[in-house]
Order: sequence, then structure tokens, then C-alpha cells
Amino acid sequence: MTAEELVQVKVDKSVDARGTSCPGPLLAAKKAIGQIEKGQIMEVLSADEGTRRDIPKWCTKKGFEYLGTIEDSGYYKIILRK
Amino acid sequence: MANKKLTLALYTGSVDKLTAAGVILGGAAAEDMDVEIYVLLQAAFAFKKENAMTNERVAEITDKQDEFLASLNRLNTPHWTEAFKTAKEMTNVKVHICGFAGKVWNGYKLDDFIDLADDICGIGEYITSAEEADVNLFI
Repeated sequence: MTAEELVQVKVDKSVDARGTSCPGPLLAAKKAIGQIEKGQIMEVLSADEGTRRDIPKWCTKKGFEYLGTIEDSGYYKIILRK
Repeated sequence: MANKKLTLALYTGSVDKLTAAGVILGGAAAEDMDVEIYVLLQAAFAFKKENAMTNERVAEITDKQDEFLASLNRLNTPHWTEAFKTAKEMTNVKVHICGFAGKVWNGYKLDDFIDLADDICGIGEYITSAEEADVNLFI
């Protein structure tokens, strides 16, 4: 998925974990993934550098599709499909 | 497929290492690992009801204790007991207090320890659990 396509992705659920440090965003993602259906898209907002690397790996292990990461001002939007 | 298993021999009674243990537990919870924690010697002190929330000892870089604790606060880091509780809510985590360790700190009954503790056990259970684990840590 290109960066332009990623920006236009319609997100079904947004999880704002910018106030937490590792492993807070990952745990927030784990909690929230149970609230969406297979095929739906979720974004995790995180200011934690480690989470940017953790969530793609977590997606691979758990069978979710990591779509990409958008850098915003001071945080990341990490986007995945369940 | 069966969940992977993490066994943690938790020896430390210091909040810096207990906080690290809480972070690792969070990672294990995110991956749905089964976790068995064996609370050994100094950790049993930290798990006593009267100590868990007041103990601020650190094991390393002790001259920067205040700075360390202030940083945890600034970063909204949950207290280690909260991190353990969150992990227990998200995956299968069992906390076993070593019977000998408990007695060292005058903890003879499960009720002497915080609610995170599930039972009091002997070291044989740790050895068996470690033999079966995919990941075995000592902190």
C-alpha cells in the first residue's frame, strides 16, 4: 500500500494510546482488536518509538495485516487490518 | 495451537526490576502467552500486603532513585502491581509465592500477600514449569 493510499484508508476503529509508554500502546491494541470484526481496519496512535516496531511484528504473529505507519506531528498512526 | 509459555523466576524486591518485569508481562500478554511467575526471596517482600505500594527500593543506579521514580511518574508508567494486574486480565498469568520465601518475610498464608498471588508453592513446581516453558527468565 502506498503512502497516499494509506492516508485515504477508512478506519473502523481508532485507538489513542499517545499518553502511554511501551507496552501501553501494544496492550491498548490488543484490547481494541477484540472489538472489531475480521476484515475491519484499526489505527493505533502512539508517540512511542518502540511501538512503531512492535505492532507490525505483533500483527505478523497474530495473523493480522499490517498496512503501514503514517508519521504525524510527534506521533505515529499505525494501521492494520484484522 | 497451544499458547506459548513464559516462566518467570522473580527474585527481585526492587521497583526498578519489578517494573521491568511488568513491561515484559505486558509483551507476553499482548501475545497471549501463558505465564507462570514464581515469587522468590526478595520478591516475596514486595508482594506482602504492607509493602507492595510503599516499597520504593531500587536495585541499580541507586543514587538516582528519585530521578528514576519521577521519570516513571512523568511517563505515566503504571505501578508494577497494576502492570501485573493488567497482564492477568489479558492472558493466563499465575503468580506462585515460594513457601520458603514467604516465611522469610513472615508471610505464611496466601492472605498475607497482595491479591495478585494465586497460591503458595514449592520450588519443584518452578523447575517443572521451567522445563516446559518456551521462555524462562530470572529477574
